[in-house]
Amino acid sequence: MTNHAQLDATDLHILDALQDDIPLVSRPFAAIAQRLGIPEKVLLDRLKRLQDEGIVRGISPILESRHMGLYAATLIALHVPEERVHEIAAIISSYPEVSHNFRRGHYYALWFTLSGKNEEDIGRVLAEILRRTGIPDTDVLNLPTVRKLKVDVRFSFLNDEMREDPLGPA
Amino acid sequence: MDPLDLDLLCELENGLPLVKEPYEEIGARLNLTGIEVLERIQKLRSAGIIRKFRARINQRKAGISANALVAWKCADSPNGDMGSLLASFPCVTHCYERMPVPGRWDYSVYTVHHGYSRDAVLAEIRTLADNIDVHEYVVLFSTEEFKRVPNVRIKKNGSTLA
Repeated sequence: MTNHAQLDATDLHILDALQDDIPLVSRPFAAIAQRLGIPEKVLLDRLKRLQDEGIVRGISPILESRHMGLYAATLIALHVPEERVHEIAAIISSYPEVSHNFRRGHYYALWFTLSGKNEEDIGRVLAEILRRTGIPDTDVLNLPTVRKLKVDVRFSFLNDEMREDPLGPA
Repeated sequence: MDPLDLDLLCELENGLPLVKEPYEEIGARLNLTGIEVLERIQKLRSAGIIRKFRARINQRKAGISANALVAWKCADSPNGDMGSLLASFPCVTHCYERMPVPGRWDYSVYTVHHGYSRDAVLAEIRTLADNIDVHEYVVLFSTEEFKRVPNVRIKKNGSTLA
């Protein structure tokens, strides 16, 4: 199950730094490398490796949903028979309105997020998923978003000691 | 936003090229200079359309294999104070307030936690529960990831990640 690559201290510092906004300057990687105290080429080479290994999925903008016309969102939990988990998960994932779809260790085994222009939009997609999979309403939890209180995921790759011990001269 | 902004966001959705002058390279694909690309990104940021611009990390592949969604029953704070309180803890990476399903699922605040082991994540959640003095909660560890793409995308279905 755990097939994660070996990451050394430099990799962890890079992963930590990449979670900050990318500098909007002509050579952003040189700026990050300087902050880390490593050469730009080393940063780029390691970044390519981390991306090849799938640890870095890519450096791209996170867009604000409201500005892109998405005003409604919900989290859905489904109770599904064990033997149908994969079949039903595949149907759910095929919808562009679904961004996250996970199996979780619970009676409600499938948890996915739906977002759309408005509640009717979302309701339509959910109704279609339930119709296609034959899941009864009594096996569904629909948990609409009331408030987004915190959204920016940041993983802590560095322990306190590493934080105080940068890679190179400041 | 003009059509060129959309083209730009579409290019950026594929990820910044890992070269010395990535904005130049993006610009070359769109007949823009690197400076023009930077100015447009700057404008999209100021307008709040771009919320953040940083690396998306597959934490599982980096060894952070314990990922839990926790549903909290915060019956005593209908106005959501508990949500703000939970969101303020650094170990919480996401925090949402959601409508409950009365009588069937009376949980209204949701937090997300990540760690290198389930034990570590559970310990963190227990400490949090003691801190806020809420003891009715459900810990939902993810056991399989079927889809995880940004919820806002220019391209239709993003890429499904194995």
